[in-house]
Amino acid sequence: MIVVLASLGAAFVLLPVVALFVRAPWGRIGEALSGVGASTALLLSIEVSLAATAISVVVGVPLAWVLARGEFPGRNLLRAAVVLPMVLPPVVGGVGLLVALGRSGVVGRWLHDALGIQLTFTTAGAVVATTFVSMPLVVLATEAGLRGLDRRYERAAAAMGGSPWYVFRRVTLPMVAPQLAVGAVLTWARALGEFGATITFAGNLAGRTQTMPLAVYQARQIDPGGAIVLSLILVVVSVSVLVALGGRLTGLR
Amino acid sequence: MVLEAEIEVRRGDVTVAAAFSAGDLETVALLGPNGAGKTTIVETIAGLVPAASGRILLDDVPIHDLPPERRPIGIAFQDGVLFPHLSVLENVAFPVRARGGRPRAARAHARALLQRLAPGIDPGASPGTLSGGERQRVALARALAGTPRVLILDEPLSAVDVSARAELRALLRRTLRDFDGPRLLVTHDPVEAMTLADRVVVLEDGRITQTGTPDEIRDAPRTRYAADLVGMNLFAGRLTPIEGGAGALETADGVVTVPWPDGVAVEPIDDVLATLAPADVALHAARPEGSARNVIQGMVEEVAILGDRARVRLNGSPRLVAEITTGSVARMAIRTGDVVWASFKAVEIHLMVERRPTDTL
Repeated sequence: MIVVLASLGAAFVLLPVVALFVRAPWGRIGEALSGVGASTALLLSIEVSLAATAISVVVGVPLAWVLARGEFPGRNLLRAAVVLPMVLPPVVGGVGLLVALGRSGVVGRWLHDALGIQLTFTTAGAVVATTFVSMPLVVLATEAGLRGLDRRYERAAAAMGGSPWYVFRRVTLPMVAPQLAVGAVLTWARALGEFGATITFAGNLAGRTQTMPLAVYQARQIDPGGAIVLSLILVVVSVSVLVALGGRLTGLR
Repeated sequence: MVLEAEIEVRRGDVTVAAAFSAGDLETVALLGPNGAGKTTIVETIAGLVPAASGRILLDDVPIHDLPPERRPIGIAFQDGVLFPHLSVLENVAFPVRARGGRPRAARAHARALLQRLAPGIDPGASPGTLSGGERQRVALARALAGTPRVLILDEPLSAVDVSARAELRALLRRTLRDFDGPRLLVTHDPVEAMTLADRVVVLEDGRITQTGTPDEIRDAPRTRYAADLVGMNLFAGRLTPIEGGAGALETADGVVTVPWPDGVAVEPIDDVLATLAPADVALHAARPEGSARNVIQGMVEEVAILGDRARVRLNGSPRLVAEITTGSVARMAIRTGDVVWASFKAVEIHLMVERRPTDTL
């Protein structure tokens, strides 16, 4: 019985991927690629997802440190807030960003009027939306790593003359590097697939905010074959990352 | 350089309070059972644990307000606490680099220290591949690397195999002796305290119960703990085989007969340590008949009463402390100046011999 159910589950997960390969318009693949602007969307996707990952790491790691080490009232509340974008429907996140950072938004109005910065309908906006949704993953993974770290090493490093920043750089960070790396990869994968918040906040403009998932969505209405080809590219990229990581991702505690 | 500490630290619901000093070129052992607060005290001195109150002075200059990285203290932690992601060499270079030293100079300094303290260890090795004794040697090198003015060793032998202890103890003795400044040794092992320290601070339940030289504490322990552990008879010297599977331990002031240790080649061994519990020494008014291998005559130097037990110090060859009931003291009418006989069985003597595999000799 268990074997039957397990087989059913495995087949269910694999079926869509197999179907993509079966139905791909292999005969006219080049034509389909150029027709939907695949290379533009792919390049933009890589750019946006890498930028979002970089920002998530730079801001998320200190945030993880504060959550793991800080002792202040409202820490659990802050953690809940950090995790929120992960459980929130991305569309809701997009609407929230629009109200906050849109041209007439709470902060966006000021950004636009005082600094001339507009985020909606720009690549920067796509990065903001993607970062919003994917950052929790690196924060949570790094925080787990920091919590599991034996504090004696950092204390020893301080006793050996290391300033707090030196200890963080040479002991804390290298020791949580494995968890941080897993978190960063998960963040990047999530960023690559981001759809809802991006289309809501940044729009769907080819070459500016139209990342791969958005291109797939649009192509599906015009050229179903092109949508399949684009989807296959994302499958290949994702599987490559999974393979490159080996068992590390699935071995995540 | 003189270290003075007068501190009170709260750990959970226990308060640790201690006031003591360590003079220049003096090794002070903090001796006490597990949980007595020894590590808390040295970590407070190193700045890793905040003190509730008190002061820590180095040559009359307060250091208790400094963050740990600014205190001129070198500490070898229990179990080493070597950084697992750095090589042995980078571990030892760490204190120099952390204080702004150039990486190349720091590594050269570390290499020289390792050469002296851990010659058999590959500097490129990962700490995870080392044995307990090797880790401790690297920890010792790392503690000295930042050229500290105070050296602290926290339970340096506790994670070390019995077979590697004698050699490491000799290295610790040399290192402590050569260190230019006050040295603190944390230990729960009385033999370690008695053989390595100039002065012993006995800690129990977060309080100092006695301070004195090893001899003073051995002769007149003030608490049950000190009497049971520190108040041991300690013999040190050369062990030579004699007939009947026994050995003669020649100490500086007399010979005792001991059973030859199991699994050790029957040939003379230097630097053997042995302990004998005072309670295992019997006293007699006349030379005793019987099976005890060791019979020693001596004059009573002191009779110290501790509860219902009395510790009798004998000026014999070797010198001995016997612990008998106060009833026996009264029955035998033992007084200072009396000459009595002491006897103890060879099997009551606990030998500490380094068991070296014969093929490496």
